[in-house]
Amino acid sequence: MSSSHAKDFSFWGGRIPPEIESMSKNLKDVDQELFRKLMKAVVSSLEGKDCVSLMKSIAESTTIPQDRLGHIVAGMHRVLSEAIRIPPSSLKQEAFKENLRELRIPEDFISDFSSVVFGNRRSALETATSTNDPHLPALQDFKWRVDVAISTSSLSRALRSSVLMQMKLSDGSFHCFEVPLSKFQELRYNTALILKEMNDLEKRSILQIQD
Amino acid sequence: PLRHQRPSFCIKEAVTFINAIDVNKFSRLISRIIQKLHLKGERTFSEDEEQKLQTALSLDKQALDLVLETTAFILEQAVYHNVKPVALQQQLEAVHLNPDKAEMFSQTWAATGPELVEKLKNNIFAPKKLEYVGWQLNLQMAQSSQARLKSPSAVLQLGLRKEDSEVQENVFADFNHQELLEFYNKLEVVQGQLDSLT
Repeated sequence: MSSSHAKDFSFWGGRIPPEIESMSKNLKDVDQELFRKLMKAVVSSLEGKDCVSLMKSIAESTTIPQDRLGHIVAGMHRVLSEAIRIPPSSLKQEAFKENLRELRIPEDFISDFSSVVFGNRRSALETATSTNDPHLPALQDFKWRVDVAISTSSLSRALRSSVLMQMKLSDGSFHCFEVPLSKFQELRYNTALILKEMNDLEKRSILQIQD
Repeated sequence: PLRHQRPSFCIKEAVTFINAIDVNKFSRLISRIIQKLHLKGERTFSEDEEQKLQTALSLDKQALDLVLETTAFILEQAVYHNVKPVALQQQLEAVHLNPDKAEMFSQTWAATGPELVEKLKNNIFAPKKLEYVGWQLNLQMAQSSQARLKSPSAVLQLGLRKEDSEVQENVFADFNHQELLEFYNKLEVVQGQLDSLT
């Protein structure tokens, strides 16, 4: 029985992902400076930035062959993605470090991993990785105007108020439309209703269970 | 009703024709006209019906058109200026419309006028209007980048219709608790503004 069964769980789930395994085998002769450069590139890539040129300059600065660097980078990427998926309330820093120790990763490197996963750059990473997930557009910008129609071609004194709304969604779409008063009341009422339901939902015990 | 250019008709001629029409027949005519006054681009009477009217009222096509146009015009002016029924009756008698017809205009206007004004107020055009509000509350458990979420998210569906179109365009937007709260607070500000208008 392998020692990993004695733990509650490993942050990577079931079997050790092949990238992580091969990374741990390729860390010999890698000094901390190189490790940190590679880590920086991986974090950059997780944040969505292009790091081809960065990787090229790292490869040129070292005698370690490119395919070994490739294994290391792939493993780092996997470690970080898997660890960031799990909320900090479920995966504690010590447990994370223990998992990495089982792979015989040097302690210094473990600290570097830990400082990314549990440091202050974590929420930026979470935001960046979640943008790739499927989702409906969110309301990015909301502007409004209250209008009163004074007169029209049919009525010299109409005096009918309405709301003009302008919504920009996160998918870039733009909607400008008028909201008759009755519809505005309906919108306002329903929004309040959803908020109430959300509050009720959040209070229910299923959400209080910590896992 | 189908609107032509403001006809340069002679109201005298129209009045003569209207006065000649039997009171009961005219009553039905004016009821139908006022019922359809708020509809844009729709004929008040079908071609078939107009043929039948010509026969029933002993009017040729030109004369009938004049009668229908003038009646509609009088009612439109009454709506536009929100004339009082008594004033309408007086003004019509002043252009030599028979008292029985003038009274009929006045009574019809008094009975159906307010409803017509309301319909016109609700019909004020806008390029796009919100016609439908729907929503769904979901509990998101996980996604590719995040495990164990348990985060409530609401989807708002807004049905928008373009003026002169039957098709509704659906806009879907996602909100988490915080985002929805912010949206609601903005709606409350709008409500405050609306309240200050009354």
